[in-house]
Amino acid sequence: MKKSVVLSLLLLFVFVLAPVSAQEPTTLTIAARGGSHVDAMNAVKAEFEAANNVKIEILGLEAADLKQKIGLDSLNATGELDLFMIDDPWMPEFAENELMANLTELGYVEDEDFLAASRAIGKEPYGEGDVYALPFSGNVMLFFYNKALFDAKSLEVPTDWATVLEIAKEFTADGTIGYVIRGQQGNPIVSDFLPILWAFGGDVFDADWNVTINSEEAKAALELYIELLNNGANYEKNDIVAAVSDGNAAMSLGWPSWYISGETANAAYAPIPGKRDADAEVNGSGMIGNWMMAVTANSANKELALEFLKFVTSAESQKIGAEVGGVPTRASVLSDPELVAKYAYFPTLMDGTNNSVVRPRTALWSNVETALGAELSSAISGVKTVEQALTDATTAIEAAMAE
Amino acid sequence: MSLPTVLVLALLTAFPLGFTIFYSFTNFNMLKPKAIKYIKFDNYLKILADPYFQQALGNTLKFMVLAVVIETLFGLLVALLINSLGSGQKVLRTLILLPVILPPVTVALIWRIMLSNNYGIFNQILTSLGAAQVNWLNDVNTAFYCILAIDVWQYMPFAFLLIYASLQSVPVSQYEAAQIDGANAIQVFLFVTLPNILSGIVLVVLLRSIDSIRLFDKVNILTRGGPANTTATITQYIYNYGVGNYKIGFSSAGSIVMTLMVLVISLPYIKQAFKRN
Repeated sequence: MKKSVVLSLLLLFVFVLAPVSAQEPTTLTIAARGGSHVDAMNAVKAEFEAANNVKIEILGLEAADLKQKIGLDSLNATGELDLFMIDDPWMPEFAENELMANLTELGYVEDEDFLAASRAIGKEPYGEGDVYALPFSGNVMLFFYNKALFDAKSLEVPTDWATVLEIAKEFTADGTIGYVIRGQQGNPIVSDFLPILWAFGGDVFDADWNVTINSEEAKAALELYIELLNNGANYEKNDIVAAVSDGNAAMSLGWPSWYISGETANAAYAPIPGKRDADAEVNGSGMIGNWMMAVTANSANKELALEFLKFVTSAESQKIGAEVGGVPTRASVLSDPELVAKYAYFPTLMDGTNNSVVRPRTALWSNVETALGAELSSAISGVKTVEQALTDATTAIEAAMAE
Repeated sequence: MSLPTVLVLALLTAFPLGFTIFYSFTNFNMLKPKAIKYIKFDNYLKILADPYFQQALGNTLKFMVLAVVIETLFGLLVALLINSLGSGQKVLRTLILLPVILPPVTVALIWRIMLSNNYGIFNQILTSLGAAQVNWLNDVNTAFYCILAIDVWQYMPFAFLLIYASLQSVPVSQYEAAQIDGANAIQVFLFVTLPNILSGIVLVVLLRSIDSIRLFDKVNILTRGGPANTTATITQYIYNYGVGNYKIGFSSAGSIVMTLMVLVISLPYIKQAFKRN
């Protein structure tokens, strides 16, 4: 009798329980921007893997490779990828071509703890439609300055661009580089110039998508940009950071991760000035540059991928991720007293994001950026006048948008 | 017997080339595969009429001519010098070849550090001499020539290698005969050395021309085609306006234009090769 019971139990284990316990875990594959983003995911993924019998595979890629990988995988009926990260200007292109699963249709309920400006990027149409992506990593451009240089002259942090230029002139007169522009052709110069353009009340397009880069505001902004260059230098990113950090230069714009690593900041920071001069009205000027994350439209594991997406962007995960360089996108995390005591830039980042400006939401933005970047480069190099460069930029952008 | 060769060639060359030609006449966008449409010569007309492409074409041709001439001349000089040494040829040969072994991306990154405004060795030297710093990669007067100098630094050893190999095969008897005839060093070079190594030099010119037209990594890493498009090349144009935006049809047309250029340049050599055979 006993033998038969033991045998039955053994058979039950072999045929019923054993297959369940030995069930192969589902694999979720994520295409991510390499670096701290991957570290932030690696720091939390074990908990999700254990709770859901899932294996998380993360491919850390350089931005251009990431974009290519996502495009290639979208051609498959069932994708190799289940989730991918998205630089926010890519959102319109990816949404237009239906590369992302509609999270609202999958049952996702909007979480208002994410900063509104970041949340808006993940919706299609922008700011008002269904949710397609969640803000994974926060980022907004800030104004960086060398505090020792400013303190030596008892200078206040400028809040308008006329004052920035005055301060730059003052430093230049003393033999210090006043202001460093990031004037390399393409994305660098466009990202560096747009905050000034916005502060002057200009933009690349109006509400009806007419190109407005040849406006009076744009001309004034570009003239000031060239004046800043004349009272400073044109460096690439690493040189900018080194110059401002070491006190060879006084001011620049930049992304937080350039200067801030964990608890230390190599330069002082403030929101980007939003006014043309002291008497002008304030405009939003800080460029937002979030990395979003979405579930692929052709994933075989959409529901599970959505669960991981919610998990990895949760407040708990963002707190852990912050320890390894992750940048939160939630108000509750950015204002958490414990974290703020450790990462002093969080409140500035939150203020900057709340007053940020998003790059034009068009699927053709990369073409526009290429065209605008070439003409801005011509203007600061003196190859073209400000007027000529902006006229040519208008023609090139109109051609790019006509496609 | 030739069937496997034909099959391999068909798979590796003809098939992709055929697809590239096919796509070049379409509006194929990788994200919109179902919207593919035959658009005749539209891509070609658009590319050829684009002022950015024209500038990139001009830069590429200028770069090709300068790079090939300088690399070949320097390669020839170094090969003659090394070949004339009695001892130490092996060590010098190995040392000279080091840059060509490095991947272009590594070369670009090394030079970016050396040309840096803040900590680059060139600006440090200028500063120590009391001279003003130069913004090497962001100045319209210097950026193109910096890329050229880097390319010469990397690929002159390639020219050296091929010419040096040709020099090694010059029959000693011809030098001895020239010596008996009382020829001086210049006459020996012009009437003995040069005719013997000419095919090697032509091969260098051909291979470097083809490779120079494809210049991409250095430009993309160091200048992104700027400032003011002065370093933009055809491959960079194809990448910026095509591949980077999933526009495979447009990129294919750009690639075909580039391939035709390469063919035109290499045609005389190919004809000669067929004649010899």
